[in-house]
Amino acid sequence: MSKEKKDTQLPRWGMVIDLNKCIGCHTCEIACKVQNDVPLGIWRTWVKEIEKGKYPNVVRAFRPTLCNHCENPVCVKVCPVHASYQREDGIVMVDPHRCVGCRYCMAACPYEVRYVHPQKGIIDKCDFCYHRVEQGLQPACVEACPTSARVFGNLNDPKSEVSQLIATNAVQNLKTDMGTGPRVYYIGLDQATMEIKREVEFVWEK
Amino acid sequence: MGKIVYDVQYQTSMAFLISYYFYLTGLSAGSFMISTLSYGFGFEKFKPAGKIGVVVAVILLLMAPQFLLMQVAWPIKSVWNHFVYLNPVSAMTYGAFLLMLYPVNSIIYGIFMFKGNKKWTRIFGTIGIPLALAVHGYTGWILALGVARDYWNTGLMPIVFLFSAMVSGISMMILLIMIRDYFFTKSRDVNYDLIYSLAKILGWLLVVDLFLVFCDYSVLLYSKLEGQEVAHFMLFGKMFLGFVVLENLIGKVIPLVIVMVPKFRENNYLLILAAVMNMIGILAMRIVTVYGGQVLPLM
Ligand code: SF4
Ligand code: SF4
Repeated sequence: MSKEKKDTQLPRWGMVIDLNKCIGCHTCEIACKVQNDVPLGIWRTWVKEIEKGKYPNVVRAFRPTLCNHCENPVCVKVCPVHASYQREDGIVMVDPHRCVGCRYCMAACPYEVRYVHPQKGIIDKCDFCYHRVEQGLQPACVEACPTSARVFGNLNDPKSEVSQLIATNAVQNLKTDMGTGPRVYYIGLDQATMEIKREVEFVWEK
Repeated sequence: MGKIVYDVQYQTSMAFLISYYFYLTGLSAGSFMISTLSYGFGFEKFKPAGKIGVVVAVILLLMAPQFLLMQVAWPIKSVWNHFVYLNPVSAMTYGAFLLMLYPVNSIIYGIFMFKGNKKWTRIFGTIGIPLALAVHGYTGWILALGVARDYWNTGLMPIVFLFSAMVSGISMMILLIMIRDYFFTKSRDVNYDLIYSLAKILGWLLVVDLFLVFCDYSVLLYSKLEGQEVAHFMLFGKMFLGFVVLENLIGKVIPLVIVMVPKFRENNYLLILAAVMNMIGILAMRIVTVYGGQVLPLM
């Protein structure tokens, strides 16, 4: 196979999330938990809920969050044992046999999407349900979403639904200034929803 | 701006175990350097610190990685995988090698020193200096390359770590030499000439350390939003006690005044107090930097 042919033939998986369609039902969160056997206390994907404005003029906004399967992932760069790696189709994976649980990748990922598996001690994160994708299925969250807010597909194929959505809508990625090249695109993401930060519990408050 | 209504809890990636690990490697690197002042560079005045320096450096460096291994979920696999699946662009890879090379070199250097072989002591002492710099500098790099955190991601980090290593190492040497001379010699006379020289070096290193902190913060306060936020968190926020009071006031400024003013320096109790305060302050610095540097949310 010549290189040119290979590049166009290989898929590059990505996701588009239309926030105008998201109703904040958390179905994707549950579907992911069930599909991937994600234990209590950690999440591979979840929906942030944000309240904008002041009472009585308030509005709810939602932002589903997951690993961005970056084009230039920092987590892969810092992993000392090549446990975090990027597949040829762009999916960023963690090899459970290699990961030693040093948590360096957690400290380096700008999106806070990596968790330590409470039983295994190794890193757990979204893998785009690669086991389903390889069988020609959609990731569990995409299939479960009742409003089809999540769309998954091949970014290398200009005719795919993701490519069409990206081409015809105003889309945004998160934290592009980190140089990571995220491959999860959001439609209808505004400044407040993008910049909102979680609340922290400090060690001395626990 | 909005308000979070629902979000999930996030885990802290590195906290106390890593701080202790950094602290102990720092103390080890610091005491090793004091030891090489006479045996590597030929400053005869520091000869009485040579042997105790290398013994302490080796003991601490055998202890330090235990904390690292406690933090890592799969300690044995981690040592093995570091060699088999080596990733040359990760700062942590080099740490694994340094943590093995540095104690071995220190032990060889110590053996020659105790045997009285001057030539080989000097050679291994000289090899040891870049190794000691690297073994502690790399801990700063680990943080500096955690690019997501503005507090860590600065080229100053390895240098800040080196200077804090040296000051805490000297404070520890001052205390240990006092204890050794007072309790473990028949004559009980403490070598004050040596102690005061070490105290003076400590003073100047503290000046550099404080200057580095000033550089770091003056830039952070002017930098982009996350940098400003973390600087405010440290200076005026919930880390005030840890950063301003413990790390800088108790750990650096008060000891600096004590070791710089001859009247205070020559008061034994005050000097001991300065050394103890400095050691506590540098431990606080490790915790503030590792925990405080990453606890603010990114998303
Ligand atoms: S979002 Fe984080 S974990 Fe996912 S690929 Fe990017 S850097 Fe890695
Ligand atoms: S926790 Fe695992 S995946 Fe992350 S950097 Fe360490 S070895 Fe690599």
